[in-house]
Amino acid sequence: MRYGMGPEVLRDVSFHLAPGSFHFLTGPSGAGKTSLLKLMFMAQRPSRGLITMFGRDIATLPRAELPDLRRRVGVVFQEFRLLDHLTTYENVALPLRIQGRPEASYRDDVRELLAWVGLGERMLARPPTLSGGEKQRAAIARAVVAQPDLLLADEPTGNVDPEMGKRLLRLFMELNRLGTSILIATHDHALVEEAGASELVLKGGRLTIRG
Amino acid sequence: MANSPAKPVANEPAELDDEPPRKGLMTKLSTLLVETRSVMPSAGATGLSLVLVIAAMCFLASLALGAALSVSHVTSDWTRDLSGALTIEVKQTDAMLPEEQIRAVLYVLSQSDGVLSAKALDHEDMKTLLEPWLGTGNVTDDLPLPHLIDVRIDASSPPDLDALAQSIIAVAPGAVLDTHRQWQDQLMSAARAAEWLAYAVLVVVAATMVAIVTFATRAGLSANREVVEVLHLTGARDRFIAAEVQRHFLHLGFRGGMIGLVLSIAAFLALTLQGGGGATMFMMPLSGLRLEYYPALLCVPLAAALVSVLTARITVMRTLHRLL
Repeated sequence: MRYGMGPEVLRDVSFHLAPGSFHFLTGPSGAGKTSLLKLMFMAQRPSRGLITMFGRDIATLPRAELPDLRRRVGVVFQEFRLLDHLTTYENVALPLRIQGRPEASYRDDVRELLAWVGLGERMLARPPTLSGGEKQRAAIARAVVAQPDLLLADEPTGNVDPEMGKRLLRLFMELNRLGTSILIATHDHALVEEAGASELVLKGGRLTIRG
Repeated sequence: MANSPAKPVANEPAELDDEPPRKGLMTKLSTLLVETRSVMPSAGATGLSLVLVIAAMCFLASLALGAALSVSHVTSDWTRDLSGALTIEVKQTDAMLPEEQIRAVLYVLSQSDGVLSAKALDHEDMKTLLEPWLGTGNVTDDLPLPHLIDVRIDASSPPDLDALAQSIIAVAPGAVLDTHRQWQDQLMSAARAAEWLAYAVLVVVAATMVAIVTFATRAGLSANREVVEVLHLTGARDRFIAAEVQRHFLHLGFRGGMIGLVLSIAAFLALTLQGGGGATMFMMPLSGLRLEYYPALLCVPLAAALVSVLTARITVMRTLHRLL
């Protein structure tokens, strides 16, 4: 893919993520990790090439069918992208609310998840008042709350201490055990080693698989 | 932080239960007035000014609607009054004396179907008619006045006026049938024009509101582009986003409409109090709005809410369609 008339950011990238698999995406800064994730959560369409998600070619998918596919993908954005005018609780509950579920059906689940990521006391705080680590955990909670089929996380442990990083990794692994495929873009080699999962390495726009 | 992957405690304080589910009509009414929290940030600063603009628009719309209703009421009154009356003017001729002509005309009238009554106006009647225009005591006995016959006809089954005019001319060469028609036609076309003008104002006001709401919706969307993108990436359909936005505009439209309505009612009441003595403007009674028309004004805030909701929805759907 390319942005506008710029050079191709990603080329010769070919891989397959099996359902229920756990992968890391590593590579130097600017290698195109975020771009690859953007393609995968359908924020961008590829300029050429074939990307198939859940059996659908997303380059030619009609716009009206995107929401259904996107609901199967949970995303932890690098810059979190929490909605500043909503509380932490409302931010985390957002995917469920978008799916049209009544609040009574998920209120307890959301609270439980918030407590689990250590935000039980910050439920009514708004994102601008959260610390970087708190925002990150809220973003992760939002991505996993709907139990997506695929979780894409861009540097999900970049702003938390190693202890919290391990805790979040366990959350991802727990989710993986329940059937969610996980792809985590990270610079954190300790995290990769800890998980012992296979690694996709992006370098110079090309992708190699390790492990 | 506990290291065991245990279930965390879920016994949170009930802070989130600030909006217990209430049901019933009052709830529905209050949802119109009190805006519930939306996923889209409300327009904030543009909110109040937008309400004021919509209020002004609705004020104008209510005035125009009230005027249109009043005019149409007055013209239907006129039609009823005038179409029940005819005047026959008897001029002097060499062939017959006026009295003979009057007698002949009255006879013809008494033989015609659809004529309820006919009365020749005597000198005293003429005096009463003319004195307001010429001044008391100025109508002298030697003033050459035409002779008039006031005819009341049955408006529901009026006589054939053309035939009546022919037969009157035949018996009295100086008699002219005045059906008030020309006068009535002119008055009616003036009133109709005023009525159409009022409706045109309504249309212009509605169009202006559509334009304003479209503009505000677009501005709101582009200010919240980040929010829209996050919602999209989280799997929100355009419908969901449109519903959140249009809820906001429902409140703006309804609130603005109510303010405009209250102002216009105040204006009509003030007219009633001031013009209670039967003041007229262009021959329209200026006694404010008739009581039975006040409920019709309620349409204005409802229409305002409807117009802003539909406009916002269409604008959002069209704008979002251009995004991925």
